[in-house]
Amino acid sequence: MECTWTGNQNKLPNITGYWKKDGNEIDSRLTVPLENEQYNLKGVFDIVGEESLGNYSCVFGSEAKIEFVLAAPQMGEVRDKPIVSYAGDSVVIACKMEEPKPKPSTWHWYKANGTDKALIDAAAEPHRYQIHSEGGKSTLTVRNLTQADAGFYYCGAVYLISTSLGRLEVRVITFLEPLKPFIAIVVEVLVLVAVILLYERKSKKKSITGSQKTKKEKRENSGGEESSSVRQRKV
Amino acid sequence: TPANLGYTPPDGGWGWAVVFGAFICIGFSYAFPKSLTIYFKAIQEYFSVSYSEIAWVSSIMLAAMYAGGPVSSILVNRYGSRPVVMLGGLMVGIAMVTASFGKSIMHIYLCVGVIGGFGLAFNLQPALTIIGTYFHVKRPLANGLAMTGSPVFLSTLAPLNQFLLDSFGWRGSFLILGSFTLNCCVAGALMRPVHKQIKPKPNAEPPKSNGPAHEKAATEDTHAQSAGLLAEQEQSRSSRSQGCASKFVDWSLFRHRGFMIYLVGNVIMFFGFFAPVVFLAPYAKHQGIDEYSAAFLLSILALVDMFVRPGTGLIANTKWIRPRIQYFFSLAVAYNGVCHLLCPLVPGYVGLVLYAVFFGVAFGMVSSLLFEVLMDLVGAHRFSTAVGLCTIIECGPVLLGPPISGALVDIYGDYKYMYYACGVMMLVPGIFFLIMHYYNYKKLDEEERKRQSEAMRMRSGLSVRVEGEEEHVKMSQVDETADEADG
Repeated sequence: MECTWTGNQNKLPNITGYWKKDGNEIDSRLTVPLENEQYNLKGVFDIVGEESLGNYSCVFGSEAKIEFVLAAPQMGEVRDKPIVSYAGDSVVIACKMEEPKPKPSTWHWYKANGTDKALIDAAAEPHRYQIHSEGGKSTLTVRNLTQADAGFYYCGAVYLISTSLGRLEVRVITFLEPLKPFIAIVVEVLVLVAVILLYERKSKKKSITGSQKTKKEKRENSGGEESSSVRQRKV
Repeated sequence: TPANLGYTPPDGGWGWAVVFGAFICIGFSYAFPKSLTIYFKAIQEYFSVSYSEIAWVSSIMLAAMYAGGPVSSILVNRYGSRPVVMLGGLMVGIAMVTASFGKSIMHIYLCVGVIGGFGLAFNLQPALTIIGTYFHVKRPLANGLAMTGSPVFLSTLAPLNQFLLDSFGWRGSFLILGSFTLNCCVAGALMRPVHKQIKPKPNAEPPKSNGPAHEKAATEDTHAQSAGLLAEQEQSRSSRSQGCASKFVDWSLFRHRGFMIYLVGNVIMFFGFFAPVVFLAPYAKHQGIDEYSAAFLLSILALVDMFVRPGTGLIANTKWIRPRIQYFFSLAVAYNGVCHLLCPLVPGYVGLVLYAVFFGVAFGMVSSLLFEVLMDLVGAHRFSTAVGLCTIIECGPVLLGPPISGALVDIYGDYKYMYYACGVMMLVPGIFFLIMHYYNYKKLDEEERKRQSEAMRMRSGLSVRVEGEEEHVKMSQVDETADEADG
């Protein structure tokens, strides 16, 4: 990691520079000369394992600090809302390490057990769990869901230096839950249709009796004409 | 314009309840397929399929909706709007409920796509047709109000579907949506077949009333309207015999000048009609605008659309616009084209908001008038068959439009060529409509003048042989002229 600072108003010829990791000083302090109007501080660190990751900062004197974060690739957007699924059904949950982040060497899946994480062994229970991992994407299929399967699941993208975790929540409900609004709406539809059709039949009866009355009046008025037309029709 | 319905439509009363029913049906037909896209990601993950495979559901549903048009027309001609709409509502409901138990993506294609799409077709056509039977004077307004169902339902279904997905997952949501779509049956219940009142003019009622009706024609003062009467009776007879011919396709529509103008213009227009809506949000995101602001543009569009549709219906109903409504429609189509051509010239979010507003107006105007102008051209009798033919022919450009536009975007890496293309594909039909309808109106005026002069000739006692008549009317006509000659 390399830090470059253009300095402040008093361009001192020399300044102390040192590295910090997670707030603690590491290595010895160096004297950094002013070259080409800049101070240059370079640090070389070996990444041994997970302990090598963290927040690094280079400090110039007591004035300038630049921070670096060394971490394994983190997963982007993981679904924060719970995935709703049904008892007896199966659920597929997926994690993705999207381009251009480097692909993990392997994927692990865990089920949350209180504050613990229990590794899911798909090989041991193939009728229940199935893990399909392909490069930057991994899916976990859980079959024959029960209420006990609800809760948090963790997917781990395994890298040499560390494992990045993503958290997903699974909710298990029974079919009775959506059935209640379903039945309510069906009842509403049946009631409305019945009301509308009954109202129509009522108003039809009224208009039929009304038109029968007017037909009677017309027959009285036209008298012979109507009977002649009836005769014609019969012919 | 052929207003020879043979009876006087109520133009109000129960008609407004029918408009409300049509509002619901049209809302479901247009908004339901679009709002289902919210479930796609969840279904895609569940069945472990690619995005293009899940997108097929939309395409199949839309294709079934358009292909079902002619079938819907035939059923409406035979049985009326009410049973078809109720059947359609039932079909969509059963389709969604069955899909909620689906075990593979094929089930979803068949249930939601095919059966659901057909069910929606059985909702759309009858809803449009029944408005033509209930309204004549206020028909543009009724059409505009009914078409408002589409943006209103889209605005409500989108957040509702998101809520359902979060609460019940996609299976439970499909189950609940299945019951929700049964409300189309309620809308169908509202679609009471119109009561065809017998007015001074003889009407196209079943044969048993022909006797007294023709008697009335002889005795009442119908001198001035005799020519009109004959035309009406012929039309009414042809509409009854249409029951047999329209079992299949009413090919005579292809010889109808107005219908052909409408069809040709629409086919070109639909290539560029929906694509700008589909690509509005991606275009905004491409310009660096965040996802929520991009989605907000669509909300602006829907909101403007919601108010413009009834407004356009109101304007189209005025005495200045109604007689020349085809010009109004042509201008609306051309205005769409102008909007799209100008869109790439206004960069930034403010420009896009302005575009969304103006495009909302344009989209609303065309949508509101789309079926009204067809009714105006072919008349309420043949509208059902006409719209069935239109939908199945427009199926092509509607389905191909967005993918072609998408291809343009992919090839050039820029959205502006797509907008130019859409602009041209709207502007050209707009100008085409203007020119062709000018010619069509001239021809219609000529024909009307001919008909009036024929009526005048008959009044003055010249014998005119009119073919295809019933004995009754001929005799009564001859009696009339004989009386006048004597008098």
